[in-house]
Amino acid sequence: MNLRFLLREIAHSRGQAAVFVLCVALSLVSIVAVNSFRRDVRGVIAGDARSLHGGDIIIHSHSEFNPQLSAELADLGREKGVVAVDTREFYSVARKADGAASLFSNIKAVDNPYPLYGRVELRSGREFADVLRPGKAIVATALLERLGLAVGDPLLLGGATLEIVDVVSRESLRPVDFFNFGPRIFVSTADLAAMDLVGKGSRVSYETLLKLADQTRQEAIVARLTAKAVAGQEQVTTSAKASSRIKRFFDNLLFFLSLISIFTLLLAGIGMQSSLAALLRRKMKTFAIIRALGATGWFLLRHYLLLVLLLSALGCGLGILAGLLLKQSFAGLLVGLLPENIVLGASLRDVVEGMGLGLIVVSFFTFLPLSGIEHVKPAAIFRKDARPGLRRKSTRVLLVCGLLLLFGLVIRQLDDVRIGLYFMAGIFTLVGLIALLIGGLLKLLARCTIQTLSLRQAMRSLLRPGNASRAIVVTLASALAVLFAIYLLEENLRVTYIESYPADAPNLFCLDIQKDQQQGFLQLVGGQVELFPVVRARLHSINDRAINRETELQKRGDSLAREFSLTYRDTLLPDEVVTAGAGLFGSNDRPGGLPPVSLLDTVVEMGNFKIGDIVEFNIQGVPLRAEVTSIRSRTKSMLYPYFYFVFPEKYLQAAPQTFFAALKVAKGDLAQLENRIVNKYPNISPINVGETAAELGKLMEKLSVLVTFFASLAILAGGLILVSSILATRMARMEEAVHYKILGADTWFVLRVFFLENLLLALLSGGAAVLVAELGSWGLCHFLLDIRYDPIWSACLFLVASTAALVVVLGLLSSIPIIRKKPGRFLREQV
Amino acid sequence: MVDPILAADGLCKHYYLGGQKITVLNDVSLAIGKGEFVVIAGDSGSGKTTLLSILAGLDLPSSGRITIAGRDITGLTEDQLAPLRNGLTGFVFQAFHLIPSLNALENVMFPAEFKKDREAREKAEKLLDRVGLLPRRHNFPEQLSGGEQQRVAICRALINGPEIVFADEPTGNLDSRNSEGIINLLLDLHDDHQTTLVMATHSQTIAARADRVIRLHDGRILGTEANEL
Repeated sequence: MNLRFLLREIAHSRGQAAVFVLCVALSLVSIVAVNSFRRDVRGVIAGDARSLHGGDIIIHSHSEFNPQLSAELADLGREKGVVAVDTREFYSVARKADGAASLFSNIKAVDNPYPLYGRVELRSGREFADVLRPGKAIVATALLERLGLAVGDPLLLGGATLEIVDVVSRESLRPVDFFNFGPRIFVSTADLAAMDLVGKGSRVSYETLLKLADQTRQEAIVARLTAKAVAGQEQVTTSAKASSRIKRFFDNLLFFLSLISIFTLLLAGIGMQSSLAALLRRKMKTFAIIRALGATGWFLLRHYLLLVLLLSALGCGLGILAGLLLKQSFAGLLVGLLPENIVLGASLRDVVEGMGLGLIVVSFFTFLPLSGIEHVKPAAIFRKDARPGLRRKSTRVLLVCGLLLLFGLVIRQLDDVRIGLYFMAGIFTLVGLIALLIGGLLKLLARCTIQTLSLRQAMRSLLRPGNASRAIVVTLASALAVLFAIYLLEENLRVTYIESYPADAPNLFCLDIQKDQQQGFLQLVGGQVELFPVVRARLHSINDRAINRETELQKRGDSLAREFSLTYRDTLLPDEVVTAGAGLFGSNDRPGGLPPVSLLDTVVEMGNFKIGDIVEFNIQGVPLRAEVTSIRSRTKSMLYPYFYFVFPEKYLQAAPQTFFAALKVAKGDLAQLENRIVNKYPNISPINVGETAAELGKLMEKLSVLVTFFASLAILAGGLILVSSILATRMARMEEAVHYKILGADTWFVLRVFFLENLLLALLSGGAAVLVAELGSWGLCHFLLDIRYDPIWSACLFLVASTAALVVVLGLLSSIPIIRKKPGRFLREQV
Repeated sequence: MVDPILAADGLCKHYYLGGQKITVLNDVSLAIGKGEFVVIAGDSGSGKTTLLSILAGLDLPSSGRITIAGRDITGLTEDQLAPLRNGLTGFVFQAFHLIPSLNALENVMFPAEFKKDREAREKAEKLLDRVGLLPRRHNFPEQLSGGEQQRVAICRALINGPEIVFADEPTGNLDSRNSEGIINLLLDLHDDHQTTLVMATHSQTIAARADRVIRLHDGRILGTEANEL
């Protein structure tokens, strides 16, 4: 091993080497940050599953447990080594004693000795179990602030008046609370009756938590309880297997960031490949000379392998360091969304995993350029002896192996085979589409006849051999297209749901109106308001195939395993149309036949339903089989009421039900009406939809900052490829510049040619990105989200202009030493 | 002729450009004796450089055989040829072809380092001293003039004491003063070490100083002339 040669080679190509190192670093930055952050989040949120769920075994239902299950739980509670605690959780309105202000809150009624695991820390420092007694309430700070209350004040909850005795400062069962609609209120279960907020069909989570002294009994007890539970209605699970909304939120966020990280990694990989290929192209003559001096192919290969390894190690180190630093910035970017006790640290595992990841990425992307070195012939000194490495069978086999490895890496990173494959297919399609587009445009440019000398020369320069124009444009355009598509989607969603809240759309939803409150409620709100019956049920089977809860719950979007709100009516809503079937219930509503059910197209996609399918529901313990008779679609946004499953009235009339109302109220009257409703009917939950949309907007804004930041790293990869290409074609550019000067051109002409060349590059990249992003976003908005689409042309213009500025500045800065080269000196050096 | 150290028999070389077959060498046979100074002369495009590169094992013939120091090199792979190029032959190019990342001393040492020669530095410095470039040994190729670069290239070709030195138009890129110096240097080294010297050139002056001149035209040998010594 000739180390001196190795070091000299690195020093001689330091510009190209630096770009390579940066590409390696860039490929790892975001992925290391995301992986390390995921570990930290999981460590806090799901690390101690028992603290998160509050027990070893969790029994959960949306209705009271059936008598057999209750009896079994009572028996268990009497056994030695088993501690049980009941909780009831629901949303309702908390009011000031004078009724002047009210707040939609999350109420949790618990028994002693709650919590079985974890802690509810109080501001006073006292023990939770010692403070929470019947007649007392422990509340979140937000409730005090928003209602203008203090510890010691009375608080009205339904029909009960409770005394606020303390404030929750941290809750291990609720490490973050940004997606809770209201602040937490802890009360004793003994007060539930006095509150009288839980009516038939109300949205209450019934939960019993068990703590076992002997953990080996877990599975046996789960089996014992499951045998008594109503399938599809009552869930019995262990804390290790239970899912959590918080965990799902972070899983989804990290999953999305992982997607962008892998995209950046792939783009940086292309940068790596392109910069190394450029470096090796420049060295081809040197390789031929070395071979002419008696070196074997292996000599060259092992030296360059080591060189790549050294540079990669440096890049990996930089990438890991930058990734861990980037992770620290998450605390600022996600302020308010992260658990308070999260520690964003760095571990040896982060470093080792980052290095491993880097090695795989580098191996894959440098394999092709490196594979050609061994076969450089000394005769290449006299003529170009191009033999593409891909022609060799072994190269093709290794390339396929590398591709499979890369697929494996993506699937492992996303932890989802199907989405991993879709993602890779999507990336290949995007890059392929852009490559085709750019290829066509470059061919078109090559055929253009242009009179202006500088522009003509710029075009010729763009098509200069080894210029990697196509690679630069494809990479830059792909990164820009993804970034811009995210922006367009985000803006269109914001405009649809938050900013341009439809003028006639309801802004107050009232839930849990009881059957006997209908008339009173209508009189209270004083308008022609439609009350929609809501029957809560779970889907049990489709065509006698039971719903697989585990598979369904693993889905990232909506799932068929959740509880649905069924309704009954005989006509379509004003914004509904039947897209399949003869009318809402066809001719199936006949005596002796199965009850008909109409499905909304959204749920049809979730379960691949079709007309004639037999579906079975479990309505709080009572089975109901029905036949799908029609499929509906909606023409308005999701802000208007809609139901997935609609039955004729007669089949659900007797089921336990509540009513739902969607009201349009003048903004100034909202608070007053809310107070009037809850003062008269404390069990009714009014939700200020406008306010909720604004909260959602704030959350989206925070997330969009994070996403934009991540996507910007992909743009950087495109920039690096540009610099790499300029370095690779330095000699050709210098030669051109010298020839221009020898032939009488001044510096301005040379500058103009380089400027126009970079401008063409930028316009091609920006133009292709805008086209692909607009098409993709329009498709998603039109076909998937079903919302109005605004192409936001001003943003398109800004994108193209900023791309042009970036590329031109980068290009000209890299070309300055070339422009300043004196013709005489250059020619002397070339002798 | 003394024992031939280099022999070629029926060498042909074809290229295909745009589907068209171009014959660069056509049935070339020759033999060169140990210690001989042979000039391959001919006009531009006559095939001199191609012949030289094939004789030196830098390129493969389309057909024909080559024997160097009694060893048939025709069927050898690139890696089997490597030690021959390193120890048995040396090559001086018209365009010098120094490794740009290495300085003059390192360029000269480079072939010796392949052989793990512990005296590579001493040998290189001695050679550079002989060509008057020892003070410039730390300069990189781009910091040297054309004549200086060619002197370094000659030192590099000689460091492993090759039996044959091939030189392709070694003065083609130099002015007359530098050309004279380079030729004198090559001939001095040839005389001192009894190295076989095979040089491609179209210079009549240089050809006049050779033991023998092989004239090429359109890839064929027109004739061989022996000069009077």
